[in-house]
Amino acid sequence: MPKISVKIDDKDLEVEVGTTVLDVCRANDIDIPTMCHLKGLVDVGACRLCLVEVEGTSKLLPSCTTKVQANQVIHTQTDKLKKYRRMITELFFAERNHVCSVCIANGNCELQDLGYKVGMENVRFPYLFQNCEVDSSHSKFVMDHNRCIMCTRCVRVCSDVEGAHNWGIMNRGYQVRIIADFNVPWGDSTTCTYCGKCVDVCPTGALWNKDATQGSMQKYPQAVSDLVEKREMKS
Amino acid sequence: MLKTKKSFLDVELPKSDPRVKLIAAKIKKENYRQDALIEILHTAQNAYGYLPMNVLAFITRELKVPPSRVYSTVTFYHFFSLKSKGDHTCLVCTGTACYVKGAQALLDEIENKFHIKPGQVTPDNQLGVQTARCIGACGLAPAVVVDDEVKAKVTAAQINNIITTKTGVGA
Repeated sequence: MPKISVKIDDKDLEVEVGTTVLDVCRANDIDIPTMCHLKGLVDVGACRLCLVEVEGTSKLLPSCTTKVQANQVIHTQTDKLKKYRRMITELFFAERNHVCSVCIANGNCELQDLGYKVGMENVRFPYLFQNCEVDSSHSKFVMDHNRCIMCTRCVRVCSDVEGAHNWGIMNRGYQVRIIADFNVPWGDSTTCTYCGKCVDVCPTGALWNKDATQGSMQKYPQAVSDLVEKREMKS
Repeated sequence: MLKTKKSFLDVELPKSDPRVKLIAAKIKKENYRQDALIEILHTAQNAYGYLPMNVLAFITRELKVPPSRVYSTVTFYHFFSLKSKGDHTCLVCTGTACYVKGAQALLDEIENKFHIKPGQVTPDNQLGVQTARCIGACGLAPAVVVDDEVKAKVTAAQINNIITTKTGVGA
């Protein structure tokens, strides 16, 4: 692969053509927070946390879907970006009902970690307090829409890795919801294979094992990344 | 005996129904291509006026697309509707110009006679009332669209007569 040179946060780097900005940063110990990105899944640029500044462009670009180009100068830790990352985090919390103290994923939650990372002390936006459902119709797992941040990792892992296409997205804007099949209770789904990959990749306490109790839910998104890597090596 | 899960996709549509024939023909014409989903949904919406769940199940099964993708598509686009909009429709423009010229009085008058608010349908499914934010006919304000026909400068005293004359509802 031909190499090109880029400058990220004053570091001069030699990278392969076709690499995303996020991959370059992760490989060079430059920390960019993400929610919807997971190695092995197709990136969609949904969470907007990984936005970076590219010199010569007035727009902020999502680093997970932006490929590096020769001689680019990229900034990842400016005050503007830090301000926006904190704002986005606050909006995650304000949209639905994230109550860590009673959450199944308390202490094992990527959203909680993100709050600490960006230094969120309070939420400056009014909470929507949406009335979301908890779907416990499935025999093994539970879907709690109150904790969902619409990263769509579950949707992508179900369609692209498992190939079952159980999950989909309904409506738009703040009314957007994750659905199973024709918006049926998860337990009535005809496509779910009970594999549990969606539960493993979920960054928050939205998807969990039925036998989990408060704070006990452990997630293993890495398992899916490894699985995809093994499959690619085989082919 | 082996028990299999009853699927909501196991629905039979009456084969003699011309609307079903129309959709089946469209699917065949599109060669069962999954990416023709939106075109096929358009045909179904035009045939029925909305998208009944059993029709969605039929399309899902014929195209072999995931049910969640069909439902996602239908709920994403404003054009598609899962609920009947009524056999006859009355759309009152509530854009700025029409609103200033008294669109709310028209809606109140309709509610007085037919007891339906915007987005609702009469219990016999005869009439549905909708609103739109500007239909691009501000010079005709307040504008009303009754069964695809635009009526200009409608007053509160006229509105129910216009609906009845055009659709026969409430005669």
